[in-house]
Amino acid sequence: MSMSEQQTLKHQVTLLELVDRVLNRGVVVSGDITLSVADVDLVYVGLRVLLSSVATLEESRERISATGAGP
Amino acid sequence: MIHLYGVVEELAELPPAVVGVDEGPLERHRVEGLELIVSRTVERNDVTQAAVLSHANVVEELMARSGAVLPARFGHTFTDEQELAAAVKTKASELARGLKLVRGCLEFGLRALSGDGASQNTPGEPSGRDYMRTRLAEEKARQRLAEELHEPLARLSRASTRFGGASRDLLQAAYLVPRRYVAAFGDEVRRLEAAHADLTIVCTGPWPPYTFAANGEGEA
Amino acid sequence: MSARHEPIDKLLTGEDGLGRIAGDLEHLPKAFPRRVNADPEQVERGLAQLVLTLVELLRQLMERQALRRIEMDTLTDEQVERMGETFMKLDQRMQELKEHFELEDRDLNINLGPLGNLL
Repeated sequence: MSMSEQQTLKHQVTLLELVDRVLNRGVVVSGDITLSVADVDLVYVGLRVLLSSVATLEESRERISATGAGP
Repeated sequence: MIHLYGVVEELAELPPAVVGVDEGPLERHRVEGLELIVSRTVERNDVTQAAVLSHANVVEELMARSGAVLPARFGHTFTDEQELAAAVKTKASELARGLKLVRGCLEFGLRALSGDGASQNTPGEPSGRDYMRTRLAEEKARQRLAEELHEPLARLSRASTRFGGASRDLLQAAYLVPRRYVAAFGDEVRRLEAAHADLTIVCTGPWPPYTFAANGEGEA
Repeated sequence: MSARHEPIDKLLTGEDGLGRIAGDLEHLPKAFPRRVNADPEQVERGLAQLVLTLVELLRQLMERQALRRIEMDTLTDEQVERMGETFMKLDQRMQELKEHFELEDRDLNINLGPLGNLL
């Protein structure tokens, strides 16, 4: 990797970390699920899972599509 | 629309020559004894990189000039002063608590990735029990290692958060480090890096306390 | 367009390992939903990514819980055996799906925030 490529990479990683922090809002997915394997109930999810970052953009997309721009 | 950058304490003066999102000049507002930094923006329903960077730039500048900054999460826009004041009022005590927490501290982010050694090289067709036992041993080793990295850093921090979930990283965490421990924190990270040469340890910072401001807003 | 406020370099350590997280950078443009991508193949891959991310998350949650049960020693040998077979198959199936949709582990990596207490 050349010096300038390394520099770009450092920059980009910083940017990624920054965006992660600044945009870290939550999307609440809700629902109740019991997951079982081999008839053993393993996880009861009162699915108030807080998805952030990657999922946050899905939310903003939804908001955009709700206003008509549509994905 | 009003864009909120954060709540500040002991800000001597607004950073000169710094404009906010959409080039809007910064303004100071006082609600319930809390000082808010805002600017006017146009209504938008998408997020641009330029806007995020402007927001971050303002927060950084405020950090450099005040006693404490509680950064607002991006996307908090309010239609007018009344809406802003109402929103702040309902959260005034949380915000005050948040300010107290982050006062005098900087945030550092850490990601640790384990070596590339592929784990599941079980030859042939292992039995279900062998598979689970192997996974159990792997998980325990991972947890031990993550704890070895996290614990000494958390000890230097006023608060810390580990991120979990589907992440394949060994450890993803954020630390709220008092300024007087920042040097020690850096030393500790480098010590861990040297002690675990097989791992990739990416540490970033110092950041404004974004992660810990958001925590204070939710159910702590 | 973003030249004015390039964030300053905040990298403290890990410079040598950056290549290993470079793949994460692909997620960056998605934080800014500017481009509406109508390419059907991309849409399919994006949808697969979302679904598989959730599947992978649930798989990991289940596996973690299963490991905890094994540790607590509350399962019979037969249950552990069946569980192991199931997780093994699930793992294989995930690998196949990832290959099919040309996704890598890091593509199925959601930052869930402070989720520790959910588990």
